[in-house]
Amino acid sequence: MDAQPGLDDQYRRSSSWPLFVALGLVISELGVLFGVIPISVGGLVLFIGAIAAAVSEAGYTDRPWRLLAGLGGLLVGVGVLIAVTQASALAPAAVIGVFAKGFAQPPNGVVVRGISIIVAGIAGIVLALVGPQLATTPR
Amino acid sequence: MDLSAQLALTVLMGVFLAAVAMALSRLEDWRTYTPLTSGGGVAGGESGYITREKPLGLTRWLTTVDHKDIGILYGIFAVISFAWGGLAVLLIRTELMTPAMDVLEGLGGEAFYNGLMTSHGITMLFLFGTPVIASLSNYFIPLLIGADDMAFPRINAIAFWLLPPAALLIWAGFFLDPMTGGAIESAQTSWTMYAPLSIMQTNPGVDLFLLGLHLSGVSATLGAINFLVTIFSERNEEVNWANLDIFSWTILTQSALILFAFPLLGSAILMLLLDRNFATTFFTVEGGSPILWQHLFWFFGHPEVYILVLPPMGVISLIIPKFSGRKLFGFKFVVYSTLAIGVLSFGVWAHHMFTTGIDPRIRLSFMAVSLAIAIPSAVKTFNWITTMWNGDIRLTAPMLFCVGFVSNFIIGGVTGVFLSSIPVDQLLHDTYYVVGHFHYIVMGAIAFAGFAAMYYWYPIVSGRMYQKTLARWHFWTWMIGSNITFFAMLLLGYDGMPRRYATYGDQGAPFSVLIQNLHIIASVGAFIMAIGTIIWLYNFVVSWYEGPAAGPDPWDLREYGMESREFEWHADRLETALTDGGSDDQSDD
Ligand code: HEM
Ligand SMILES: [Cu+2]
Repeated sequence: MDAQPGLDDQYRRSSSWPLFVALGLVISELGVLFGVIPISVGGLVLFIGAIAAAVSEAGYTDRPWRLLAGLGGLLVGVGVLIAVTQASALAPAAVIGVFAKGFAQPPNGVVVRGISIIVAGIAGIVLALVGPQLATTPR
Repeated sequence: MDLSAQLALTVLMGVFLAAVAMALSRLEDWRTYTPLTSGGGVAGGESGYITREKPLGLTRWLTTVDHKDIGILYGIFAVISFAWGGLAVLLIRTELMTPAMDVLEGLGGEAFYNGLMTSHGITMLFLFGTPVIASLSNYFIPLLIGADDMAFPRINAIAFWLLPPAALLIWAGFFLDPMTGGAIESAQTSWTMYAPLSIMQTNPGVDLFLLGLHLSGVSATLGAINFLVTIFSERNEEVNWANLDIFSWTILTQSALILFAFPLLGSAILMLLLDRNFATTFFTVEGGSPILWQHLFWFFGHPEVYILVLPPMGVISLIIPKFSGRKLFGFKFVVYSTLAIGVLSFGVWAHHMFTTGIDPRIRLSFMAVSLAIAIPSAVKTFNWITTMWNGDIRLTAPMLFCVGFVSNFIIGGVTGVFLSSIPVDQLLHDTYYVVGHFHYIVMGAIAFAGFAAMYYWYPIVSGRMYQKTLARWHFWTWMIGSNITFFAMLLLGYDGMPRRYATYGDQGAPFSVLIQNLHIIASVGAFIMAIGTIIWLYNFVVSWYEGPAAGPDPWDLREYGMESREFEWHADRLETALTDGGSDDQSDD
């Protein structure tokens, strides 16, 4: 995911990103609804990555990385909220207990979904951190 | 899910993402091995270097953000959906020619019938109706208001690309049923998805269906925001509110309705998904009650029918004057009635719930507003007829479809007024009368207007003219077929035939020779329309490649003093194409 001039600059009426924003949303909805962690993580990362790229391509931001990190942070927040709804008290121990309980037997489906969103958010933030390094190395 | 499956999926997802990244880096890297003289590469021409607007081949279509291309994509998608929904209903109509379950027996019997009916309704409304309108508006609104493109071209493309996966999810049950040995079936909730039935059907096909519907709603909402902003802020200086064309007015109103209605449907669907998968009780009998679902659904659902009918009304108001040689009679009042319908349409939803036992005083007020909404609809009808009155009428294919629209809309509208009277509705609710009513409008009017517009603008999109005789065959098969089918349905309703039944003569659906004959007649009409549709498809495809060049003014609008912006644009484009020796947004290839 490269913020250098790309398809958009050569072809005034083309962009690589919209297709992937759409695909990302579809895959993440499927993953989250059915509680399949790899699918929701992959879908959400694709979704926020493509959004950040499209927004910067359209010229609303210079570089996509800050936005990507922001969206990642948002996902982490949403995921935590979802998981914490399962905590009876907000004491730290209780919260940690909830996260542990997600994968106990039988697993708590709501917590699993919350965690999958958190993981996707963290992956987005990591991508935002390493992205600029990758993008500046000449290919 | 066990660990190995999770691992396999993780690997699969990783491979997929890697493939995406590779595809993207190739796309984004193109510039490195194609010569590009100007740095930014925008606004070619001035520097003597003609910037290509789009890459070639499949990549062009996958990456396009040009409103005209997206309009064409929406159109192709709508046609595919129309074929799916149409084939489903032909199976349904074949089954209904006999009272017993026979034709579909081998394919799954009643369950299959219910799946077909659900798929037909949802497909036609959300995957054909809304997209076919989006196809017209994407291509032509920017031309009509003199804008360069939509306000947010990328969001426009996102809205389109959500639709194909949405369709696959909505139809998924049909494909997955044989693949999973029946573990996942097609949804059988009917398009209204009434609780508690839709909660009790635990089949995961319903979840996929609901997700698909949710995505199509996201798509419609994104599109609506885009049109609102485009019409408000991207108009050419010469276009102001006083001379904004009627089609843009209806799209503007439609977009506002979408903005208020679709997010509500989206939320209600999420609540339904929660009820199904996470044991919430929004719509359960012990919890929020199934009636809550009906309120939420119809608060969306009635505006939805106007979301579907307003732009077609705009199309009709746009085209009728062109072939009557007169200005639209009472233009202002057509605009006002559009806005009035937009507002009132949020105040009538409970006319779908007259028989649910809601408070009679509430029913009464909904009856009053429902009767009132017929007034702006009648204003429009009056204006269309007066526009044609004493006009210099030319019965081209688009005009024929417009006249057909007016005729069918009158029957559809009048039956609607009957239904909004509580005592009448108590007799006719959930019978074929209702089916006849709304098909006069959705098929007899909305689809007719869609085809009127397609014939009217075909020369702009393809650069060619269709075969006029075939177009006339299409019209007459449809006009006759739709009236045979849907009038028979009105009669079936009077005769007490309930809707949504796969068989009759048992389980509460009456049998008589008359009922069976009416069913047979309705089926015959459906097959006549199917033939007309095949004629249409053949005509459009063949003419796309072999039709005669349409020229700059295919409808002689200048001669009749009926110039309009989109045909002026078309003429300009042909001219520049001639002097430049070809420009690459010519689409007659
Ligand atoms: C002239 C104004 C109209 C009035 C007064 C009206 C009235 C009604 C009433 C009272 C019903 C409920 C019948 C029942 O279920 O018992 C109904 C159903 C329906 N109407 Fe209309 N209608 C009008 C226009 C339209 C238009 C313009 C459309 C479509 C674009 C439309 C589409 C529908 C649909 C789809 C249903 C059936 C919904 C279902 O139960 O599946 N109507 N109409
Ligand atoms: Cu209604």
